[in-house]
Amino acid sequence: MKFFEVINISKGFGGLMALNKVDFAVDEGEIVGLIGANGAGKTTLFNVVNGYYRPTTGIVRFRGEDITGMKPPDICKRGMVRTFQVVRPFRNMSVLRNVTVGKLFGRDRILVKKEAEREALSILEFVGLSDKRDVIAEELTLVELKRMEVARALACNPHLLLLDEVLAGLTATEMSQAMEIVSQIRQKLNVTILIVEHVMKAVVGLCDRVVVLHYGSKIAEGTPKEITEHPEVMEAYLGGTLEI
Amino acid sequence: MLSSRHFAIPLALVVLGMCLIPLKATDYHVSVVLDILMWVALTESWIILSGYTGYISLGHSAFFGIGAYLMAMTVTSLPFALVVILAGVLSSVFAFAIGLPFLRIRGPYFVILTLGLTELTKYVFINLEIKLGGTVGRVIMVAPDLLVLYYSMLVLAVVTTATAYFTKNSRFGVALFSIKEDEDAANALGVNTSLYKLLAFGISAAIPGMVGALLALRRSYIDPYTAFSPMISFQVIVMAFLGGVEGFEGAMVGAIILTLISEILWAQYPYHYMIILGTIMILIVKFMPQGLVFPFKQRLLKKVPANK
Repeated sequence: MKFFEVINISKGFGGLMALNKVDFAVDEGEIVGLIGANGAGKTTLFNVVNGYYRPTTGIVRFRGEDITGMKPPDICKRGMVRTFQVVRPFRNMSVLRNVTVGKLFGRDRILVKKEAEREALSILEFVGLSDKRDVIAEELTLVELKRMEVARALACNPHLLLLDEVLAGLTATEMSQAMEIVSQIRQKLNVTILIVEHVMKAVVGLCDRVVVLHYGSKIAEGTPKEITEHPEVMEAYLGGTLEI
Repeated sequence: MLSSRHFAIPLALVVLGMCLIPLKATDYHVSVVLDILMWVALTESWIILSGYTGYISLGHSAFFGIGAYLMAMTVTSLPFALVVILAGVLSSVFAFAIGLPFLRIRGPYFVILTLGLTELTKYVFINLEIKLGGTVGRVIMVAPDLLVLYYSMLVLAVVTTATAYFTKNSRFGVALFSIKEDEDAANALGVNTSLYKLLAFGISAAIPGMVGALLALRRSYIDPYTAFSPMISFQVIVMAFLGGVEGFEGAMVGAIILTLISEILWAQYPYHYMIILGTIMILIVKFMPQGLVFPFKQRLLKKVPANK
């Protein structure tokens, strides 16, 4: 039994096939990267896997269960949680309240608000945002918002975390801090990670394996090294060369 | 830090004062306070759904009318307190029945849906009246004393306000506010938004049903046009936005102030009443979009409220 696998997933919008018979799997404890140019179908795949879209064909299996067609809250409660590429904070809530939502309604389903807040605070400490706990989310910088987005997903206590471009738009220093947090998430919290990322340096630095999408189809899969040397990937991804 | 606990004692005093009013006041004053209590109950119940989740409902008129009609039809055969409770239950059941198939409707479509719902119920009742009785309305023969109505309404207002308060500060309230902020994000974090919207709709609907049942007894005659008047929904919305939609304080302040202003304007300037009221509303929306209560709360709290 695979920890997580998508089998023959297709998703069409009208005449356009955004995903075309995509297959891959993630083992427990892995960090797997999902790369591809803009419009390759990465975010669509997240939306299918997370239950936001129903796939046109195919099956999503997670921890031995067919979760195809389930609604996002039910999938979240089973331990698969996503972040959004464009951050979607609860803008008028404090940082702590944002994260508390995950503790109250995620896999832990804590019924007592005080207790949920206490646990949410430890998540904020983990991502280094605890000093902002009482700040209203709309006052955060983009970097802080991205951290909060990750903290909120972690508060759901996932088995599998889907990160959608959490590193984009960060400076070099911010990026290495963020990469450190991602690898800590696996090491300390035992969370398996599927990460969509454009920044190749981060993909190579973090991922055990990489899956490459191109116009909705999977064109390659392998270690970061194999991928960067894969001729089809180099052709598709950057029109020839793949810089690291 | 100032917390909601500090409101407890003043509020208890207000409630006590309201209990004592009928001992001294004239019937006119009692009926003005009864009016205030009615609008407090309606507005507090409205914010539980619409203030907390942002789903603006125009359905209060429908639930109000259902309650009023239930009372008009059964007051001669059942004890009135029982009818009031049944009216609440019936309105809730109706809200659940309507809400269930339309759970996924969002934003402005929800507003249209609830408006359509009110009109639909109104015309169903108009047709029923013609089919069953061949008339347009109903005469209400028996009614309890004004004081009985007054104290019943007081209980309703207190219960509704408490419900609005405890809902906001509960786990359920966190879910409702997360829906208001970003429904997709809430879903992704495990909040079953459809379920919580439905619950809030059902809870929110019970109160106007009960208020409608009580209010029917204040009138000697009701027909579908007055019982299902869309003005009830509109007035509730105006009150909620006047005071502020995100907490029981705002709903209460809005309901009290607007009822008093209406009462005074109505008596003094019957012809210009709606014009003045409209102008006040425009000014509020323009200069205090978060309601009258918000700036005061900000000044008192000087930091993030614990319930944000």
